[in-house]
Amino acid sequence: MAKRPVLTRLAKLESLPIAAVLLTLYLVFMITAPNVFTGHRIYMSFLQTIPPMLVLALGLTFVITAGEIDLSFSAVVAFSGFVFSWWYRTVGEPWSALLLAILAGALVGYVNGVLVAKIGVPSIMATLAAQFFWAGLTVLLAGGASWNIKGIQDEALHGVFVGRLFGSVPAQSLWALALTVFCWFLLNRHRFGEEIMFVGDNPNVARVMGINVERTKIKLFTMNGAMAGFAAMLLTTEMNTFWTTQGEGYLLPVMAAVFIGGSSIAGGEGFIVGTFFGAYIIGSLEAGVVATGIGGYWTQLVSGLVMGASVVLNIVIGDGRLTAVSNRVRSWATPSRGDRG
Amino acid sequence: MKRSTKLIALLAAITLILAACGSDESSDTTTTAAAAAGAMGDEITVYMQMGGNQGDPSTLARTNGAKAAAEALNVKLIEQYSGWDPQVMIEQFKEAAAADPDGIVIMGHPGEDAFASLVADAESRGIVITSGNNPLPNLQAQYQASGFGYAGADLHAGGYLTGQAMVAAGLQAGDKAVVYDIWHNESRSVSSQGIYDALTDAGLEVEKLDVSDEVDQEASLAIPILTAYLEDHPDIKAIGTQHGNITANLMKVLEAAGKEPGEVIVGGIDLSPATIEGIEAGYISVSFDQVLYLQGYLPIMQVAFTSRYLIPGLDVNTGVGTVTPANIAEIAPLIEEGIR
Repeated sequence: MAKRPVLTRLAKLESLPIAAVLLTLYLVFMITAPNVFTGHRIYMSFLQTIPPMLVLALGLTFVITAGEIDLSFSAVVAFSGFVFSWWYRTVGEPWSALLLAILAGALVGYVNGVLVAKIGVPSIMATLAAQFFWAGLTVLLAGGASWNIKGIQDEALHGVFVGRLFGSVPAQSLWALALTVFCWFLLNRHRFGEEIMFVGDNPNVARVMGINVERTKIKLFTMNGAMAGFAAMLLTTEMNTFWTTQGEGYLLPVMAAVFIGGSSIAGGEGFIVGTFFGAYIIGSLEAGVVATGIGGYWTQLVSGLVMGASVVLNIVIGDGRLTAVSNRVRSWATPSRGDRG
Repeated sequence: MKRSTKLIALLAAITLILAACGSDESSDTTTTAAAAAGAMGDEITVYMQMGGNQGDPSTLARTNGAKAAAEALNVKLIEQYSGWDPQVMIEQFKEAAAADPDGIVIMGHPGEDAFASLVADAESRGIVITSGNNPLPNLQAQYQASGFGYAGADLHAGGYLTGQAMVAAGLQAGDKAVVYDIWHNESRSVSSQGIYDALTDAGLEVEKLDVSDEVDQEASLAIPILTAYLEDHPDIKAIGTQHGNITANLMKVLEAAGKEPGEVIVGGIDLSPATIEGIEAGYISVSFDQVLYLQGYLPIMQVAFTSRYLIPGLDVNTGVGTVTPANIAEIAPLIEEGIR
């Protein structure tokens, strides 16, 4: 039996290629911007700002795996952030505010799930409408105002979720990491994850296999909403401020993180670990490009180029084409028989 | 199915109740509007471009000012939010003109060429047009007699004022500074160009750093970018921006970069709660106050007065002051109310 090359076997490990892409990216940044990427501060700022995006991306990975889409999570960040801040300002108790924020997100997700699974509204339309509705309701209820909740810095909740471990490591990064591990087990080792994959692959076959497709979808959207509620709490607590427009800018980066991570837009295939690394790639890109000194109007262009290269590299390595590529490189490097004097 | 439908109905009911609770000013508004109607004549309808998004720090006080004027002057106010997108502003103008209102308040970001034919058409139909926030000097000169005014800061002058205040806060010739703003959109970086010019005129070495669209929408994403920039440029003495939401996040940026309050001189714009905290903590040295409330109030007043009393277009510069650690304490309560 032919022995498979080590690199090919490594490439079979879940999302190792995209991890390699992130590592390569950081190595390139270390070479091109050593002042920044050999110090700890930039990594600490990534650990400070990427976790809310990562939590949103983890939830979306389940939805994408089920062959659906959710465009409302950015509005949930605003709505749950409002609920969290309003309750904390009114009652002054942060833990119940956290619970309510997560419940508010779950409520939005549940409504989305019912619209999609029970009434049959395409998820792109249901969640787009939800995006407008919940964002609009947030502005209405907040009276358009943004609130500073700096008193939360003195609460235990602040230390637990966004405090600094050893004086510098943002706690939210560990929560996001723990959630990543939990989501991996849920998707890959739990019946619920299996059902999601079957539903994403082919809902009719899933139904024949005895899976309650509608219930699975409702649970899925509800979970995504709850996770967005948690992300909203992380963001609001970290910034000590609630904005009615918070979360708006996450829509495209979060989707990019999921797809760079390798999850299939067609459904049936999702990679939690890939999403984890995808979020860190997307969240680090612009800062990395700026650090290299490429300023002015080049930043966006170079960021797009690096993002494209990351995707290509992930596909080349991940689809088992690595062996073919390495063989080709070897054949270029080795002189052919005819070349030998 | 039945249980789900009932639950959705219940949620809808809760939502409506919450919405009703949120609008507790309605009865007062009706009474005041009725009184105003007697004093000001028949109600007129005005469409107004508010600029950003509903409720964001760079828009809220403008909306509140416009609402106050509408209530006082018996105006039916139709608010339009564009997320500062010039293309959307043009589309909104067309929608407004199609409704044949008494007046339209526009923002100058799309530019004079984009607005010229549209304004000409609306003016020919007797619609009063006036402008705010970003000037359209040629159109203003052409239609001033029929009420085309301007209520807003002279953006470049406002930025220049901010830059001068930054220099006064402790900068010297030869110091290095960065101005972080939406340089890829000329109409949104006029004010920051003012900061740039003031700093370079004072002999500083100034670099421009562009704000991406994602950061424009979610300003917390600026934290790692500016951290990276500050790490790469440890000798930076000043950061300038005229982006309201980024100003609000600058304290977090400087904390992430390990800077002490006052170590980097920061000049920003607008007065959101987070900006107040930054000023109070000493991280933000100066914030340009373009008095957004008046940018909402005055254009509505302009349309009402032109429609009823044929008052020509007034030109009011609302950007004449800055907020610093020295004067923040007395202004802060008004900011919390969404007035300053």
